[in-house]
Amino acid sequence: MNILLIGAGQVGATIAKALYEEHDLTVVDADAAVLSELSFRLDVATVEGNGASRRVLQAAGIANADLVIAGTSRDEINIIASMFGRHLSNARTIVRVANIEYLEAWQERQIDVDFMVSSEVETAYAISRLIGVPAARQTDVFADGQVQIVEFDVPEGVSTRGIVGVPFRSAHIPADSKVAGIISGDRMTIPRGDDTISPGDRIVVIGSPASAKEWSRIFAEDLEQNVDDVVIYGAGRAGLAAARTLLEQEVRVRVIEGSYERASYVAELLPDVRVFHASGIDPDFLERERIGRARAAVFAMGDDRKNLYAATMARLHGAKFTIAVVDNTAAIDVLEAAGVDVAINPRSLTAEEIVRFAHDPRILQLAMLEGDRYEVLDITVRDDSEFVGKAFRDLPTNDSLIGAIIRDGNALFPHGDDMLLPGDRAIIFTESENVATVERSI
Amino acid sequence: MRRYIVRGVPLAAPRLGVDLLSSLNLVATLVKYLSIAFLLPMFVAVGVGDPFWPFLAAAVITLGAGLLVQTVTRNSDRVGIREGFLVVALLWLLLPAFGALPYFFVGEGSLSRPLDAYFESVSGFTATGATIVTDFGDLSTSLALWRQFTQWVGGMGILVLAIAVLPRLRVGGRYLLHSELAGPTELERFTVSIRDAARRLWVLYVALTGIAILVLSIFGWTGLDPAMDVYEAASHAFTSIALGGFSTQATSAGAFGSATQWALIGFMAIAGINFLRLYQAMVQRRPSVVGRDQEIRLYVLLLLLGSGLLLAELVGTGVEAGEEAVRDAVFQAVSIMTTAGFSNADYAAWGSLAALTLLALMFVGATAGSTGGSIKVLRHLLMGKLLRREIEQAVHREAVIPIRLSGAAVNERMLRSVAGYIVLYVAILAIGSIALVIESRRGGIDVQAFEAIGAAAAALGNVGPAFGFAGPLGSYAPFSDVSKGILIALMWLGRLEILPVLVLLTRTYWRA
Repeated sequence: MNILLIGAGQVGATIAKALYEEHDLTVVDADAAVLSELSFRLDVATVEGNGASRRVLQAAGIANADLVIAGTSRDEINIIASMFGRHLSNARTIVRVANIEYLEAWQERQIDVDFMVSSEVETAYAISRLIGVPAARQTDVFADGQVQIVEFDVPEGVSTRGIVGVPFRSAHIPADSKVAGIISGDRMTIPRGDDTISPGDRIVVIGSPASAKEWSRIFAEDLEQNVDDVVIYGAGRAGLAAARTLLEQEVRVRVIEGSYERASYVAELLPDVRVFHASGIDPDFLERERIGRARAAVFAMGDDRKNLYAATMARLHGAKFTIAVVDNTAAIDVLEAAGVDVAINPRSLTAEEIVRFAHDPRILQLAMLEGDRYEVLDITVRDDSEFVGKAFRDLPTNDSLIGAIIRDGNALFPHGDDMLLPGDRAIIFTESENVATVERSI
Repeated sequence: MRRYIVRGVPLAAPRLGVDLLSSLNLVATLVKYLSIAFLLPMFVAVGVGDPFWPFLAAAVITLGAGLLVQTVTRNSDRVGIREGFLVVALLWLLLPAFGALPYFFVGEGSLSRPLDAYFESVSGFTATGATIVTDFGDLSTSLALWRQFTQWVGGMGILVLAIAVLPRLRVGGRYLLHSELAGPTELERFTVSIRDAARRLWVLYVALTGIAILVLSIFGWTGLDPAMDVYEAASHAFTSIALGGFSTQATSAGAFGSATQWALIGFMAIAGINFLRLYQAMVQRRPSVVGRDQEIRLYVLLLLLGSGLLLAELVGTGVEAGEEAVRDAVFQAVSIMTTAGFSNADYAAWGSLAALTLLALMFVGATAGSTGGSIKVLRHLLMGKLLRREIEQAVHREAVIPIRLSGAAVNERMLRSVAGYIVLYVAILAIGSIALVIESRRGGIDVQAFEAIGAAAAALGNVGPAFGFAGPLGSYAPFSDVSKGILIALMWLGRLEILPVLVLLTRTYWRA
C-alpha cells in the first residue's frame, strides 16, 4: 500500500515506525532536520514542505497514494491536506485533530474524511478505560438519534455478568440492542449463537441510546462499591475531554484549574462539574475538599513536573489511583517510578489508533460503516418483500443483521417474534457482498 | 505638574468630556416630536366640544422650543453612551414639562398650579400613576384623555419610536434602547440591528394596545360592561399596556364591571412580561421561550403568591367572599406588582397583612424588558442566586460557580450591578421616606412612617397609589410642595433606574 504521511513529529514518527516495513511510506514535513533524522532511522521517502500545499502534496505523489494520513499537530493543516487527498487521489484519509468540534462535525458527516482521531478524545477514552468506565465510541446515528451504532472496548478482567465469555444464544443482551460485530485483534466477525465476547475485544452494538448506556454499565466495574468521584487536575483540552467523557459515563467529576479564566470557562461549559480555581498543591485545600477520597485523580496540567508534584501530594493525601497525562515520552518512566499508577501519552495513543486503522482497512470501513466490506443499509421494506409477515427468528441470518426498524417514525428493536411490515425502514448491518441479496429480499 | 505638549501647543485646561451641544440637540429633536402627540387630545377636544386651544398652544410651544434649541445647538453623530446618560436624564425631565402645559393652560381644578401640573405630568410620562387630582369632575374629556395618553407615550412610546425611525440614532440608539427596556436584558442576543429591535418592540407595543382597545370596546358594544365605550377602552388600554395606572374614573377600575377588571388583569400581566420574549412568543411563534424563561416563571409564581396572600386576608377577615374576593385579590396583586397601579377596590381599608403584602409587591416589579418599574423580578432572581452561591462558596472556597439564567451563564459584571442596584434602590427609598416624614412634620401634615415608606416606594417604583390619603381612592394633593418635589425626583429616578442620574453627579463623567 502507498501511504502518504503528513507530519513527522512524535505522532508521525510513531506511525511511520509502525508502518514502514510493510508499506511504501512517503513522509511530508516542513522541518528538513526532522525529516532527515527520520530517513536515517527508517526506510521512508521524505518530501520537505507545507502539508497544506497542493504543490507539495503532488510532489509527494499523492495521486498514487492508497492512504493519506494527516498527522501534524495542526488541525487545519490536516483537514486541508485530507481535502486535497480527496480531490487528487482515491486514497482513504485519516486525519488527526485536537479540536473536538471537528470530530463532531466529522461524525455528522460535515467533514469528508474516512477516519478522524483526536488525541484529547483518545486520552479521555484511555482514562475512562483505566478508571473502569469504558467509554462508548459512537460511530453513527440513524433516525434522529433513535438508533445508534456504538463501539465498546471490553475491558480486561471484566466480570461475566451473563454476557462476557457466554455464548450468544444464552447471553443476556440488553433490551433494544444487538451485537453487530466483534473486533478481536484485527479480525472482525458478525456473531452467531456460538460466538462469545472476550475481554480485550472491541464490540459493535446497534441499539437505542438507552441500551448503549446499559452496555457501558455492563463494562463498567461496580461503581456503587467505589462510589466516589474523579478529580481532574488541569482543565486544558485533555482535562476537559476527560471530564466530558467521564460525565457521559455518569461519573461525578471535579476539576482543579489554576487559571481563573479557564476555570470559569469550564464551569460555564459543564454545569455538572464542580470546578475549583486552585493550584491543587495546597494541603489545606486538598484536606478541605477531601480530594484524597476521590476514586481516581487525573493529572493533565500539561507540565510533567507539575503533574508529578501534584500527584505525589495527592497520594500523600490518600488518593488511591493516580493517572498522569504526560507531555514528554521520557516522563512516562519517571512518573511511574515515582509512584504514579499509570502515565499515558496522548501522542502515542493517537499514533496507535491511527496505525490500528491503517493496518486493517476493514476496521477503517467499520468506523465509517461504508466501503466494500461492511455496510449499514437503511432500506424501506417493499410490499412484496419475501420477509414481510415472517417472524424475525425465521429470517435467514447469512452474514447480515437487522439492528432496528423504524416504524411510523419510531425506532423498534425487533425480537424473535416481531414481524417486518411493508413500509418499515430496516437498519441492516451486513457484509457488502450480501447487499444485493438483502436488497432483493426486502 | 507635567504639561503635555502636542505639536508645540500646550493643551488647554481639561475639556468637557460630554458633547453637551449634541446631547441637547438630540433632546430637542425628541421633544419636538412630542408636539405630534398633542394632536390626539386636540381632535378629541374638537369632537366633544372642549376648548382645543390648550393642546394647540402646547403643541406650538413644544415644537417651537424644540426647533429653537435645535438651531442653536449642532447635530453631530457623537451621541455615545456618555451622552446617552445626559439625554435620558434631561428627556424625562423635559418631556413632562412640555406635557404639563395643557393642564396649566386649562387652568381649572386641581391641576392648575404649575407644580401640580408638573407632578401629574411626571407621574404620567414615567408611567407611575400617582395623581394630584381630587375631583375627577374637573377633568374635561380631552384633558383626561391627554393624561391617559402621556402614560402611553412615556411607557414605551416615544423613545423606542425615535430609535426605530430616526436615522441619527443608529449610533447612540443601543444605549438609549437599553435604558428604555428597564432592567438587565439580553438585547444583544435578540437581533443584530438595534433599529430593527426598536421597530419590532414598537409594533408589538402598538399591537398590544390595539388588541386591548378592541377587547374593551367589544365589552362595551356587547353590553357586557355598560360603563365601557371606545373612549374608556382607549384610555384604559393606554395606561394598562404602559403599566401606568391612570384612570379617567375616581374609583379607577372599580367603576367598571368584573369583565373589564379581569381583562385589565390580563393586559397588565402580559405587559409585565419582557417584550423581547413576547415578541418571540407572539410574532416569531415560539411560545415555548416564555415557558422556559426562569424570570417569567418566577414572575408568575410571585403574582400567584401575592394574590394568594391577599385572598387569604380578604377571606380570613371576612371583608369579601366568592368571585369578588378572588377578583379583588388578583387584580390588586397584579396591578401593584407589575407597577401599573390601577385599583378596583379600596385596599387601604384591608387589613395589615394585605398592606404589608402590597408594600412588598411594590418592591418586586414586573420583568426586565417590560414597561413596568421597580426593582424587577430578574434582579430579585439573580440576587437570590448570588446569595445561594455565597452560601455554597462558604463551604467550598475555591469553587468556581457560574450563575446561570435559563441555562446560560450570567456575566459577573452584570451580577455586581444587580447587587449594587438593589442596595441603591433601598438606600434611595430610605432617604426619600425619611425626607417625606421630615417635610410633612414641618408642614403639619399627618404622615405615618408606613405611609411615607409606601408613598416613596410607590413613586420610586413607578407604581402610583400608596397608602393613607395617597391610597387608591385618594390623591397626592395633600402633600406639601417640597414633598411633591421629592416625589417627582423619586419618580424620575425610578424611571431612569437610578444609575444614569448618579453618573451625572460624578466628576469623571464631565471630564474629558
